[in-house]
Amino acid sequence: MMDDIQPTTDPARPKSPLRAWFDLRGRSLSTLAFALNRLTAIGLTVYLFLHLAVLSLLLRGPDGWDSFVRLARSPLFLTLDVVLLFGVVYHMFNGIRVALVGMGVANRQQKGLFYGLVGLAMVLFVVGAILIYTK
Amino acid sequence: MAEQLIDFKVFRYKQGQAAPTYETFQTLCDENTTVLVALQDIRHDQDGSLILRHSCHHASCGTCGMRINGKEELGCVVKVLELGTSTVTVEPMRNMPVISDLVVDMGPFYDRFNTVGMPFIRQSEFMDEAEIAEGLETYTRCENCIECNLCVSACPIMGSDETYIGPAALAATWRVVEEPRGLRTQPLLDWVDSENGCWRCHVAYECNAACPSEVYPGDKIMALRRDLTKRKFRGLFGRGRKD
Amino acid sequence: MDSTMSRRSLEQMAARRDRSGSLWLIQAFSGLLLVIILGVHMIAHHFIVEGGLRDYQQVLDYVSNPVVFTVEALFVVVAVIHALLGVRAIITDLRPSAGTLRAVNWVLVVFGALTIGYGVYLAVALQQLAG
Repeated sequence: MMDDIQPTTDPARPKSPLRAWFDLRGRSLSTLAFALNRLTAIGLTVYLFLHLAVLSLLLRGPDGWDSFVRLARSPLFLTLDVVLLFGVVYHMFNGIRVALVGMGVANRQQKGLFYGLVGLAMVLFVVGAILIYTK
Repeated sequence: MAEQLIDFKVFRYKQGQAAPTYETFQTLCDENTTVLVALQDIRHDQDGSLILRHSCHHASCGTCGMRINGKEELGCVVKVLELGTSTVTVEPMRNMPVISDLVVDMGPFYDRFNTVGMPFIRQSEFMDEAEIAEGLETYTRCENCIECNLCVSACPIMGSDETYIGPAALAATWRVVEEPRGLRTQPLLDWVDSENGCWRCHVAYECNAACPSEVYPGDKIMALRRDLTKRKFRGLFGRGRKD
Repeated sequence: MDSTMSRRSLEQMAARRDRSGSLWLIQAFSGLLLVIILGVHMIAHHFIVEGGLRDYQQVLDYVSNPVVFTVEALFVVVAVIHALLGVRAIITDLRPSAGTLRAVNWVLVVFGALTIGYGVYLAVALQQLAG
């Protein structure tokens, strides 16, 4: 079967996915939303598998786990937790926007949805970050 | 406003050249000088080998699309002094191969349009008193597309995969689906219900921001997805139609 | 329109249709489901138990609750599906060849199944340890 769209090559400008996705110069707010969504997606995917790997420590009894928990309470780890929390809440709330808009629901309000949902995400992030350091 | 000497940092590339370069030209601009006119002045007075494309000078032909200070614009309607920068960077549109300097190969762009069948009737063709077809809110939709390619140039997904159908052709597809005038739309819907079709959009909405003609391709892509989503759910619950 | 469409037959256009739309919808709905499950997961782990759910015995007690066990198992399944569909979307945006994409699909399916299997095994094993 013939491909209906042929790939093109441009010797003047080699393709650069990283630049296409993450170079935000001259871009709109929604591209910032997309770029952050993609970055947090990659981070969260790596974290998901690390998290599952770390949980296997539980099978080896209390010693391994409890020493890991001591490490996890260090300031460095708590800071990583804050970074993780940002990724989770941003991806979660922007994701709600992408899911709705991507199905054609409220797509004309996509900017308003961004401000509303990501604004809420940032409030939760600040509250969560304070709890991480104080609780 | 007095005339000002403005630097134009212009993308230069000729076939066979290893890599593009940027060349800076200086030219006088007054408050009415558009980027297109300034480039024409440079070509006329300083370097006849500078290649650019244009026709109408009033934003209706869509041939002078370019990137001005990193943003997709029609060169004919952007006034140089209103940019407020002493150096104006001018580059060809992205995501279509450069032929020479500021001119890109529009072939792949029109190929996609041909597939959809060029179903365009421009807003200006309707008299004010004309009745609006049933099911439409207004006529200010894809009829307005001037086929300038700015939306395709701005799209971040086209930037990593130019086999994506892209915003312009997807908007045109929606135009046919929205008002088929007796045409069978199912093959078109199948065409965009694919890996390279409307599902590739990641809601960056650069196409809406770049469009100089109020087509809002991003909204059209989402309208296609809404339609396809409904059809998929109907199919899931046994009420799908077979075409 | 038919004259301009003669360049490609309608059948060829229709043949372009594939499962990417359904995959996107699964991605969207699994994401929406994750908002709920992950919300419960994070709040339960970090904010209900005083000082967060931390030591070994606390973790085991927590997982032995059947509601928690179900939520956590569901979480592994949904999160892995959502994550790997996302990985596939990113790879697709890099324009792999058809052959590469087929290989990627298989690798992701196998990797996903193994991860889900491991996750559910872990939850069951922990429940037994809590026993």
